[in-house]
Amino acid sequence: MASSKKTSALARQLFKLSLENGRLSEERVGGVLAWVEKHRPASSLAVLRAYRHLVEAELNRNRAVIEYAGDVASSVFAAIAAAMSRRFDRPIEAAPVARPDLIAGLRVQVGCDIFENTVAGRLAALNTVS
Amino acid sequence: MSSVLEQIEQQIERLQTGTVTKNVGTIRTVADGVAICDGLSDVMYNEMVEFPGGVIGVALNLTEDDVGCVVLGDVSNLKEGDEVKTTGRLLSVPVGKPLLGRVVDALGAPVDGKGPIEAKETYPVERIAPGIIVRKSVSQPLFTGIMAIDSMIPIGRGQRELIIGDRGTGKTTITVDTIINQAKINRVGLASGDPDFRPVYSVYVAVGQKNSNIVRTVAALEAAGALEYTVIVAAPAADNPANQYLAPYSGAAIGEWFMENGMDALIVYDDLSKHAVAYRQISLILKRPSGREAFPGDVFYLHSRLLERAARLDGKGSLTALPIIETLAGDVSAYIPTNVISITDGQIFLETDLFNQGIRPAVSVGLSVSRVGSAAQIKATKQVGGKLKGELAQFRELAAFAQFGSDLDAKTKAQLDRGNRIVELFKQPAFNPIPIELQAATLWAMQKGYYDELPLNKVMPAAISLREFFTTRKDELLAAIRTKAALDADLEAQLKTACDEWKSGFGAEG
Repeated sequence: MASSKKTSALARQLFKLSLENGRLSEERVGGVLAWVEKHRPASSLAVLRAYRHLVEAELNRNRAVIEYAGDVASSVFAAIAAAMSRRFDRPIEAAPVARPDLIAGLRVQVGCDIFENTVAGRLAALNTVS
Repeated sequence: MSSVLEQIEQQIERLQTGTVTKNVGTIRTVADGVAICDGLSDVMYNEMVEFPGGVIGVALNLTEDDVGCVVLGDVSNLKEGDEVKTTGRLLSVPVGKPLLGRVVDALGAPVDGKGPIEAKETYPVERIAPGIIVRKSVSQPLFTGIMAIDSMIPIGRGQRELIIGDRGTGKTTITVDTIINQAKINRVGLASGDPDFRPVYSVYVAVGQKNSNIVRTVAALEAAGALEYTVIVAAPAADNPANQYLAPYSGAAIGEWFMENGMDALIVYDDLSKHAVAYRQISLILKRPSGREAFPGDVFYLHSRLLERAARLDGKGSLTALPIIETLAGDVSAYIPTNVISITDGQIFLETDLFNQGIRPAVSVGLSVSRVGSAAQIKATKQVGGKLKGELAQFRELAAFAQFGSDLDAKTKAQLDRGNRIVELFKQPAFNPIPIELQAATLWAMQKGYYDELPLNKVMPAAISLREFFTTRKDELLAAIRTKAALDADLEAQLKTACDEWKSGFGAEG
């Protein structure tokens, strides 16, 4: 169900309060949740859902999900995280995920941006080439 | 077999082997042809996005939390959680002469079953209209083949002339007649080998119409041999509102190709009322604020940016627009009609009362106007039809007065009689456009009193007979009128001789 404008506005306000120096603070998130628990604002379930959505997006923004197939050294993951941090000008941590269906290569997702160089991706592109 | 392997290897080599970057999002909800997506952080307004299965959409709503995309295809296979990616491209349609004779959808894909279209170029659907400096004033006529219009409400190449009226008053018929007339002129002109002849290509955009109506229109154009000079863009009522919203802009892009390549084109938008309704539906689903009659606040801009793309360009070609608006109960002061009236360079108003009285085309001369006026008329038409509008205006006033009184003086009776004859003369069957030289001959005969002694119900048959006579026996005179585009003393003398000859024959038959 779509949030109402007030619900979205409250969720956004709570999200802003969860940031410390521009980054999500676990302590502050806990404080927000405690506040919601105590004061039970109108449509608190919808507020929490919208808040969760914003927190999840923020976590994804600061995380590089590195999907890989085959053997990849951990130093590679660290290098990728460093490269992404330089590119996006903010600290980004690596989150490696093994995906054998990619056959070979790497697929890095930071928020909405995907950088892919995998055999599976090239095969999929081959299917769409006219 | 080795050649097949070589082909596959070449294709593999052509593939991009570097890292592929893309910006993606996730579908949060999809309903009523609109997908609300999370992510898509780099998407731009009006950018094309791609859903799974190759389904295309356009990003129309960019908000802080999500992106609203209209889906231009089958939504039935889309679901929450599906990935959507940006393409970095604006929506484009194929353009060029390969589209002539074809029926395409709002994205330019053929729907007539005649195979793929080998278009070499594409134009973006949304384009900024030509600026002021590149334009030229409208001075070349665009003949509709309808005497009532060409003589009193002349249209020029590059003009926007609105056709407005209630349902079933003949709006589409006027536009189809115009397209057929362009095809007839094109055939004659191209056959003559005249290097200065400029054919007019037509684009007919059907928005929100019944499929049966579109089929009927296509059949009428094909029967008249006009389809080879026409592109049909079809977004019928069964199509989703996004396609109905885009179809006029796609048609404009197709027409602009002709204009920018030194050719003249005519585009018909049938009709913009349904276009506005489709846009209202999309806007309401996107939760945009609604205004008067639940239309979004930018409904004026919807039509103004479309119609401003019709122009005459200096050193290039022209695009003439004939938008159609359907009114309810003849109310021209409603929201959408007044919007479009204020944008266009004139309107042709069709009245239900006139239609029911048998006056077809049911053009209301009093409410119709062409702001370009006689600048778009050839001299011959000005000579024979220049005073007609004023005479008809006097006739209408006298007719309203005369129904109450019985004792009328001779002068009034003569004016009423003349007005009635002019009204009879302007009746014209559908799908039967009259070439301008024949119009000139018909009106010249009227001005010289050749129909004055005939009973009122014989005026129209007499005019038809006169035109047949000229077509079959006075082809050279018609060619001279067409070429000179003015009636000099010599041509008038020839016309008199020809009309006398016709009258003696018609008198003997009658």
